[in-house]
Order: sequence, then C-alpha cells, then structure tokens
Amino acid sequence: MHGSPPLRHLLPLGLLIAAGFVLPQFLPEYFLYIANTLMVYLILAIGLDILLGWSGQFAFAHIAFYGIGIYGTALLNMRLGVPFVLGMPLAAAAAAAIGFLIAIPATRLRAVYLALATFAFAECAQWVYRTWDSVTKGPDGLRISAPDIFGYVVGTDKRALPVIAIILALVLAATLYLGRSKLGRSLCAIRDSEHVAAASGIDVKRTKVIAFTISAFYAGVAGGTYTLFQSFIHPDGLGVWTLVLVLSMIVVGGSGTLPGVVLGVVLLGLLPEALRAAPRGLLVWQEFAYGLILTLAIMFMPRGIWGLFNRRTRARRKPALSVEAPAPARALQHQSP
Amino acid sequence: MSTIFSIRDVTVRFGGLLALNRFSMDVAQGAIHALIGPNGAGKSTVFNCVSRFCTPVSGDIVFDGKSLIALPPHGVVALGIARTFQNIEQLYRMTVLENVLVGLTSRAPLYFPFGPGAARARAERQAVADAEEVLAQTGLLPYRDMLAGNLDFGHQKLLDLSRALAAKPRLLLLDEPAAGLRNREISHVDAILVDLARRRGITIVLVEHVMQLVMSVADTVTVLSFGEKIAEGVPAAIRSDANVIEAYLGREATHA
Repeated sequence: MHGSPPLRHLLPLGLLIAAGFVLPQFLPEYFLYIANTLMVYLILAIGLDILLGWSGQFAFAHIAFYGIGIYGTALLNMRLGVPFVLGMPLAAAAAAAIGFLIAIPATRLRAVYLALATFAFAECAQWVYRTWDSVTKGPDGLRISAPDIFGYVVGTDKRALPVIAIILALVLAATLYLGRSKLGRSLCAIRDSEHVAAASGIDVKRTKVIAFTISAFYAGVAGGTYTLFQSFIHPDGLGVWTLVLVLSMIVVGGSGTLPGVVLGVVLLGLLPEALRAAPRGLLVWQEFAYGLILTLAIMFMPRGIWGLFNRRTRARRKPALSVEAPAPARALQHQSP
Repeated sequence: MSTIFSIRDVTVRFGGLLALNRFSMDVAQGAIHALIGPNGAGKSTVFNCVSRFCTPVSGDIVFDGKSLIALPPHGVVALGIARTFQNIEQLYRMTVLENVLVGLTSRAPLYFPFGPGAARARAERQAVADAEEVLAQTGLLPYRDMLAGNLDFGHQKLLDLSRALAAKPRLLLLDEPAAGLRNREISHVDAILVDLARRRGITIVLVEHVMQLVMSVADTVTVLSFGEKIAEGVPAAIRSDANVIEAYLGREATHA
C-alpha cells in the first residue's frame, strides 16, 4: 500500500535491533564506540535532511538543537533527577519548541539569508554553552553520570549500544512513515515548487515551520542519545565543524533520500578510522579530506552516491514514452462531439 | 446561465507599470471562458490575483458569493479553485502519482504521520484511489511511478492538469494548456476541456495563445490588451472585432 512503508523497508530495522543486542558480545569496546557515534550522527543527519533535502530549506541551526538535546538530557538527569526515558523526550521537545520559535521569523527568509541567519543562531547557541558557566561548566566541560533506564545502568559503549540501536530503529521507522505520509509529501512539494504547493492547497509557511520543528526534535533526540555513551560533554563539538561534517554526510550520500543519508554517514563517519589505519601522519589531513570529498561530491554528483545508483533519481527516458495521446485519452476524444 | 465567478474592477500595479486597469470579467457557471491578449497584456496577472500570489490595489474577486481577496493562496484551493501554470511547474523530484496526491491536499484528511494507524490506512487508500482515477482520466496512469521530471513536455502539461483536477475544483484556471504542443496533442487537450466542462460541469477559465483551441472550445472570449479589456463576446464576434484585430490578431486573421 502506498501510504505505509513496505515490509522489506521495515524488516532491516528488526535486524538493526538484533545486531544491537548481539554485536556487543563479540566486538571490542572501541568498535562499539564507533558504532554508537555513527548511530548518533545518523539521527542528527536524518533530522537535518528533513529540513534540507526534503523541504529544501537551507537552514543551519541544527547543531544548536543537538546541543539542547545533549545539555537538556544531561542536566535534567543531574540537577532534577529526571530519568533518561523521560528526560530525553523532554529535551527533544524543548529543542523542537525552540526550533518552532526560530522558524517563525526564519521562514520569512530565503536561500543565503536563511542560511546566514540560522548559522548565526547556531553560533550564538555555542557561545551560550561556552559561557554559561553555572549551568554548562563552560569550556571546562561537564562530567555526566551514567543514565539509568528502568534499573539498566548504561554508561559504557557495550551497554549503550542496544539502547541506541532501539532509538535509531524507532527514528528510522518514524522517518519511513513520514516519507509516505501526506505531511511528508507536502514537505517535498515546497522543496520542488512553492507555487505548485500553494496552488495545491498546501499552507507553505506553516509547512516550513513544521519542517523546522520536526528537524529540531530529531536533533534533540540525537543529543539525548549522545549522553548514553559519553561521560563528558563539551561545547567544542557543537560548532561549525560538526555541522559541516553532518552536511557533508548528507550531500555525499544523497540528500533527500534515507538510504543516501545512511550511506553518507557510514562512509564519512568511517573516514577518520580509515585514515588512522593508514600510514602514520595521514590523520592530520582529515579536515582537508572532508573538504575535498564535499567539493567533488557537489561538482560531480549533486544527487550524492545514492543518486548514482538509484532508479528514481536518475534521469531516464523509456522508449515507451511517445508524445502520442495515451489510450484512455484517445477513447475520450472519440466520445466527444 | 448564472455567474459563478467574477472579477470586479481589479487594478494591479507593479511599480510604475499598470498591469491591470479596472479589469472586470464575469464567468458563467459551467462555461469555458477564454482570456486572450498579446504578450504582457495581463492575462497571467489575472490568474496570479485569483490564486493570491499577487494582490490588487483595488477591486474584488468573487467566487460563489465569497470574496477571495482576504484569503491566503492555499485557502483559494479549499473553496474549489485550482490552476495550472504557464511555464510548467512540476514537483520534479516526485513521482507522477505523488504529484497528483499533492493535488489532493485540500480535501485529504490529516493523520499522525510518524507511524501506522487506521486513520492513515483509510486516508491513503482513498487518496491513492482518487489519484489513480484522475490519472486514468488524463491518460497518465501508465506513467504512475515515473519521476515527473523525466516525463516529456506534453505529458508534463497533462500532469499539471491532473494535479489541478485532483483538488476536484469547481473552477479551473488553465494557463496556456496548449502552448508548445503538437496538433494532435492540442486536439487531445481540446477533448479533455470539453469533457470537463460539458460532462462534469467544471467552469473553466482558459488563457491561451493557440487560437485553434480558443475558437473551438470557448463559449465566451474576453480580450485583454495592456491591462484593459478591449472586447468580450462569442468567438465568432471576437474573430471579426476591429479592436481585437488591430490589437492582437493582425491582418492575417481577417482572412481566416
């Protein structure tokens, strides 16, 4: 049925959860750390892609909402004793609420103005995380206690992985459903043509605000999930570098497509590990490598790696497409006087 | 026939340019009403005022007794007015079916989008059935799962029309549906328009340069030139109107 994702898309999510329980029994802690990091990046990237790739809004406040998720979940837990299962959704809701407020003025802006304004907001947010010493401990960073989920103490990579796999599976499922919903189609419609969208009955401005809000919620979830396997949080990761990394993941993999984003996160997420495994000294070229890959991707594959392989995004003409009137229309023509 | 749609004394300015000057037009229920005129006469501006992409400095636009002037663009569709676009605007990265599903927006119910549910299943089953019915009418059903951007020009024009029809409009504004089409495709559009108006009772306002189509399908023709109405009447009368010939059709038309 068109409105729901087919089973072959949902089944891999079951595999993901199963892997989340099985893998920690075999793999060394370091691999588990990489897996956890990639999964958090994936949630972050999917959220940004809903705004960027689906809705066509070039907004870059995402990293600020990620910070709200991280600090919100951690502080709710440490200061108020709110457990993770409640604190993470609350922090994500706070991120969504601020995303909603930002969206009201931001959706009046277009293209580069929107990009600059939202980028400025993200920089302001990082400045807050850095300077609000009494709450965030500023540039010294904040040591956080291990979250506890109904008595299951997380804290280590090994114990966090199954929980993060479940959260990621839920996020992926929600996104698959969103993609085949009326709202998901409205988001894509305003990307392709605001005029057609409005003339089809879509409230363009409201839909943009909804896109911002959903995107911020995903970033908040990513932030909350991050606190599951980190014992120390720090504002340095909440700046332009992380934003560029996530953006590169989306663009290289294939913006606007879920498999593309997964591909981009895995490939670029593993890049530093590949460089680390390579002969000594290559790791210092990491940032250069990201820049080069991003530039080449934009120049030679604007639809990303996934776009090179995917039937749907590749321009293709079937020979069957003649300009002749299709059969039912011809029939209709004969009936009319 | 009663008037269902009227444009009353509408004036539009773009800076110093008077795009429409106290333009009025009454469209009868169920009619095919053509709006013609030379390039830059203000035809598309009329459409853009109706779909609320531009706001007149004075005048009113009334559909079925309700003024459209205070409505947002998406509110116009909810009243039963759909439109197509002159330079085909398409949802290029969406499939043919998805384009038509977007056209259904104003009459499809809302549901929780992030998970399964009975409301979702019901709404989507209905939406897909409605969309396929429209695609069958316009002949695009075989291309259901193709990307709109991969269709050829003639089929993109039909998709634009299909998307508009999905809203089940009572008034359809068509901005040059035959522009750039071949003769055979034009007679296809001709047949579709006649079918929509005569059999399904949809009122049509048609902006068109292809006189062959206008003269064959229109009940009434309104002629615009430099933002002002210069003539109005049945096609035969317009064909021989001295003002129209001078402003628009040129010498050749007198022999036609």
